[in-house]
Amino acid sequence: MEKRYWKGVEELNNTPEFTRLRDNEFFEHLPVDEVLNKKAASDSSTTRRDFLKFLGFSVAAASLAACDAPVKKAIPYVSKPEEITLGIPNYYASSYYDGTDYCSVLVKTREGRPIKIEGNDLSGVTKGGTNARVQGSVLSLYDSARLTSPLKGGQKSDWKTVDADIIAKLTAAVSAGKKIAIVASSNASPSAKKAIADFSAKYTTATLATYDAVSYNGVVKGNEMSFGKAIVPSYSFDKAEIIVSFAADFLSNWISPIEFAVQYGVGRKLRNGKRTMSRHIQVESTLSLTGSNADSRYKVKPSELSSAVAALYNKVAALAGGTSISAGSSSFDKAADKVAHELWAAKGKALVVSGSNDPNEQVLVNAINNMLGSYGNTISLDSTCNLRSSNDGAVVELMQAMNAGQVGAVIFWNTNPVYTMPSMSEAIAKVGTKISLSDRNDETASKCDYVCPDHHYLESWGDVEPYTNRYSLMQPTIRPLFNTRQAAESLLKWAGVQVVDYYTYVRANWEANIYPKQSGMTSFEAFWTKSLQDGVFAATIPASTPATFVGNVADAASKLMKPSAGADVVLYEKTGIANGNQANNPWLQELPDPISKVCWDNYFAILPAYAEKLKVVQGNVIEVKVGNTAIKGPVFLQPAMADNTIAVAVGYGRTAAGKAGNGVGFNAYPFVTLSNGSLSMIAANATVTKTVEDDHTLAATQTHHTMMGREIVKETTLSKWLRDSKSGNEQELIDSPYGKKKPEELDLWATTEKPGFDRPNHSWGLGIDLNACIGCGSCVVACNAENNVPVVGKDEIGRAREMHWIRIDRYYSSDTTKENAGEKGLGKLSMYGEMEKPGSDNPEVFFQPVMCQHCNHAPCETVCPVAATTHSSEGLNMMAYNRCVGTRYCANNCPYKVRRFNWFKYSDNDQFPYNMQDNLGKMVLNPDVVVRSRGVMEKCSMCVQRIQYGKLESKKAGRRPKDGEIKTACAQACPTNAIVFGDFNDKNSEVNNLFKDPRSYHLLAELNVQPSVFYQTKVRNKN
Amino acid sequence: MSRYISRYLTITSFALFLNVISLSQVVAQPDGGAIFKANCTSCHVVGDNKVVGPGLKNVHQRHNEEWLLKWIKNSSALIKSGDAEAVKVYEENNKTAMPAFNLSTDEIKSVIAYIKTESEKAPAAAASGTNDVNASSGEESQEDGSPIVLLLVTLGFIALYFILNSAKKGLERVVRQREGLPEPPIYKGKAWVREHKKLIAVIVIFLLVVGSVKGWYALKGIGVQEGYQPDQPIKFSHALHVGQNKIDCRYCHSGAEKSKNANIPSPMVCMNCHKYVQEGPKYGTEEIGKIYKAVGWDKKKQAYTGKTKAIQWVRIHNLPDLAYFNHAQHVKVGQVTCQTCHGEVEKMEVMKQASPLTMGWCINCHRQTEVKMNGNGYYKELHEKLKKQHGPDAKLTVDKIGGLECARCHY
Repeated sequence: MEKRYWKGVEELNNTPEFTRLRDNEFFEHLPVDEVLNKKAASDSSTTRRDFLKFLGFSVAAASLAACDAPVKKAIPYVSKPEEITLGIPNYYASSYYDGTDYCSVLVKTREGRPIKIEGNDLSGVTKGGTNARVQGSVLSLYDSARLTSPLKGGQKSDWKTVDADIIAKLTAAVSAGKKIAIVASSNASPSAKKAIADFSAKYTTATLATYDAVSYNGVVKGNEMSFGKAIVPSYSFDKAEIIVSFAADFLSNWISPIEFAVQYGVGRKLRNGKRTMSRHIQVESTLSLTGSNADSRYKVKPSELSSAVAALYNKVAALAGGTSISAGSSSFDKAADKVAHELWAAKGKALVVSGSNDPNEQVLVNAINNMLGSYGNTISLDSTCNLRSSNDGAVVELMQAMNAGQVGAVIFWNTNPVYTMPSMSEAIAKVGTKISLSDRNDETASKCDYVCPDHHYLESWGDVEPYTNRYSLMQPTIRPLFNTRQAAESLLKWAGVQVVDYYTYVRANWEANIYPKQSGMTSFEAFWTKSLQDGVFAATIPASTPATFVGNVADAASKLMKPSAGADVVLYEKTGIANGNQANNPWLQELPDPISKVCWDNYFAILPAYAEKLKVVQGNVIEVKVGNTAIKGPVFLQPAMADNTIAVAVGYGRTAAGKAGNGVGFNAYPFVTLSNGSLSMIAANATVTKTVEDDHTLAATQTHHTMMGREIVKETTLSKWLRDSKSGNEQELIDSPYGKKKPEELDLWATTEKPGFDRPNHSWGLGIDLNACIGCGSCVVACNAENNVPVVGKDEIGRAREMHWIRIDRYYSSDTTKENAGEKGLGKLSMYGEMEKPGSDNPEVFFQPVMCQHCNHAPCETVCPVAATTHSSEGLNMMAYNRCVGTRYCANNCPYKVRRFNWFKYSDNDQFPYNMQDNLGKMVLNPDVVVRSRGVMEKCSMCVQRIQYGKLESKKAGRRPKDGEIKTACAQACPTNAIVFGDFNDKNSEVNNLFKDPRSYHLLAELNVQPSVFYQTKVRNKN
Repeated sequence: MSRYISRYLTITSFALFLNVISLSQVVAQPDGGAIFKANCTSCHVVGDNKVVGPGLKNVHQRHNEEWLLKWIKNSSALIKSGDAEAVKVYEENNKTAMPAFNLSTDEIKSVIAYIKTESEKAPAAAASGTNDVNASSGEESQEDGSPIVLLLVTLGFIALYFILNSAKKGLERVVRQREGLPEPPIYKGKAWVREHKKLIAVIVIFLLVVGSVKGWYALKGIGVQEGYQPDQPIKFSHALHVGQNKIDCRYCHSGAEKSKNANIPSPMVCMNCHKYVQEGPKYGTEEIGKIYKAVGWDKKKQAYTGKTKAIQWVRIHNLPDLAYFNHAQHVKVGQVTCQTCHGEVEKMEVMKQASPLTMGWCINCHRQTEVKMNGNGYYKELHEKLKKQHGPDAKLTVDKIGGLECARCHY
């Protein structure tokens, strides 16, 4: 064994809690002795006779109930829509855009209900990729917290009244010479922009303040200062041979994460003869999803990040022959020279990005990219990204105007400043008329006079122009569930624009402005139909050209953030909850954080060594104070963080999101401060005090289902792999009476051919490329949606009863290995002891998605007393729920710990007030998959419903299924194509080619359970 | 069968549709009723109301037979010839000409005779028809007879026992009297039980065995709704539509070849024909009127009102949620006829569940039915492999290609 991976600090420290969980998967104490002893029996108020009476009654009642079958109705459509055939899904192309993420999607509908979101392969931007939030968005449609009608003064009202009132108030505000402010999130929709323009034409005092809770103003301003263009450029991570990221979490949240994840995957994959991969260097304070994928990672305190950028600038400038600038010192200084040389060697194919919202830091990053010749290659200023356009200056100005009483009316569109910006909430109180277009009565809407609820995007018409000349259409996939109205239509209504509906408006806009940009089609009708069907339309994309850098680097450097002496707080967005707009989505709340594996919470993440200094342990509630802002929250010990750093996720602590999101975690937005005219996610000089409050329990999936002490994630480095394509994937031999043997040579079963075990027709398999997996969790949410996986809540997660069919294991590495133990002078025993310890405070991170491995010698199948889990002739491990009697032997015997037990009937139990509990939330259920009842085991079925559907489609057409036609939900959701599904019997299938690759291995191959799922060695591009 | 299917699928008008049916029926003796149904019902009813053409009740009284023969054979020729009666009828009906019918004189005469008899019995028939249905659609007792037989046998045994017993007692009495022995004490209650242990044991064992067997089958029958025949909101007769009119199942249940659901047709599908067929043979306008109510069809104005009301059929075939069944797999790929599972629907006046729909029943069929591999590209390679494995003449049933595996139906 080359390296030792540990699954968490608990594993490393061997805490009693961890040992308890490891030793008993089902660790519940069963009160057998208490119930059966004599004293308990005599104390019990139920006598033997009573017991028999109850027993008799229940038997009689049950038999009576069973005798009478309920009468079921079958109600056909009066007039069946032509395109709907019951039982066959329809797919509609649409677009997801919530002011942050953009994704071109296909919406799967069954009998008129959207039930699943899938990526749209035709999109030139997201190229079929999705992320967890997009996958989860379909559940937000069926959110019972959505408003069902407009509100006036908090009371239900109707559109006529509300419209008349609002028009009167707006007109009055204009005639009084007061401003009408529209506080909207970033808006990339050409039609919505036009609607705002129409609104402003009618109400002349209207001003737009683009406000994003997590702002990208620094990037926009930085580019204005560098190139005179106030834009966000487009980045090409796929073209970059070396990527240096300063705390930009581009795989999870930064600018266009889905697009970047797709690009990143292209650069990282070693497939189809590609023998090069990009090198990724991350400089950051907290351990982000992006950082955990990096080849080399440097830890820098948040307030020193700007200095780190300046240091790199100086080193690159030295190579390029430029002048150096004054820079503060940071822990990155030592490595800066090496990184600069690497960048310089890859000139023209390098990319440097920064997650900072400080325009000055962005100027420096632009300058570095300029020296490296990135513009025109890996960055394009010609094709601009419209997804992030927040203007923090305008927001500040607006607040001043509000406080001065100059604002007569304010409209909140897709923003929730009362929650995200406390200073704004005070200013709002001074505005005469407050209107919210929120879909729910959220923190801001509840303070508004009128709430005009917006449609969900799956009920809306609309368009998005994510990049210059790249268009994307949004179309409704269901009739509006409630009496809501699209936000842009509300604006048009108030502006008195005479349109039938927003659909007509969007269509007219496309006819006038977008149709002329194409040449292939001769009629608008044909163009419109094609665009609607494809979901996207791309006109001529401007060619990327080198840019002329005009920024003042010295001036920018002088305004950079100075390293602080004390502790720094850094705010970040989690992969699931992000800025908190989908906080009421139980799928996203239950998605474990990719790094901490904690669900349903945010926390102050600190380095274990720093915690020792502070004398706090995990779960302690601490108070963090920056300036006048003090916030309390639990401590989470996070390895690989920078020292003196406290990282905390925003998006939690909602108070008016809905029953799933309310009161989960705490609100960290008050730490957002204004610095250099931008909203900064870094707050320096924090003081930490331990409170006397009771410890907070964090529910994590991290320490459960361990696979301790075995070679699980195999890894190698690029240089080693280039020399030997099997490197890192050496097969372990087993000691046996016949000497060292390969696992498959030592078989309990007879090795002769058995007629029942061959696969004449199909042999399904799943390949997982650990080099491409970024751990984003998109597959987990996709699986939830596809397979009706219940949400169990924080309490049950704490009891190790999560129901996810696919999990992503995250391992940290330790620096001590068998090889270097000798150099360290360690003996055999102390070597193992040392391997358990954090040898380094900057461990590498590995992700490994684990689902049922569909073993061909499945240990679960042999122990089932009722043959509820059996093997199919197509290589699937099948699970018949109705046959299962719940002994849980199979889970005990599963080496991968992928079986999940239904401790409750999650679909109809008041204790689990999530989507399956209310009738609205049930609409998201996939009708092809059974909702499991209490007391049965379940697990990944390899999406057998999709396999059967795909097979049937081929049979109907009288042909074999095409490779890639059938995809599991996880494979389909994966933005980097790390998961590949296919038929081993199809000699030319992608999965077959992958399996032949020397990097392929089976998880726990030494057990010889012969899984149908295989993995591929992770390759790091480092020396 | 397939000849009909392809024809039915390509019908462009209902008239043509009915013609096809008429061609398929070989008529030895002119049957006025059949000819009328095949040729005339798309435009006429034997009643007072107009459909496309006028109602034909008592038409034999309005026109003489000779004229009717000419008119039916070629109405436009008759109009052209300037026949006053013909021109009048033509103008009364918005100048819509009735197409010429290539029918023999005998055939037309039989149609006129049919109209004559129908006209006379029309009101009475409607009334009696309704009564008929009430009787037949009422709760039918589904006794299979066996308990009655058992009961009779048991009673027979008991009677035999008493007869033999009294005979024995009589003989004993005779013997006693002859020998001069005293009368035995009369047994009562417990004493009787003590005396008849063997008999009681036999009865108890008998009852236990019968009870267990019956109980076992009763338990197995829980949730099995074979023979379930509920009243439906519309007295739709498959016997009439499928049996008599020979409409293909898939004309209405159009999903059967495409989807997992065969689909209960939307009433708009009914309207394809019932826009013209406004009266049924049994219930007259009553049941067809329910379709009009559902789709909002105004018969007088011949237009949709826009007011619709969905029909709530009672679902007969209820497969539990845990089992996945796909019609397309069986109908399109497996080429299984509808009747295999649904029974002789063409003879069912009221639809009922013909099969038990139990897992044992499914499995049994999967064990016996051969996979239709020939001509389906999907199975080509597999077929070759299986022929090698099982021999060229082996019966390749569904279970041989994994048709008994759990995850084929349970997921």
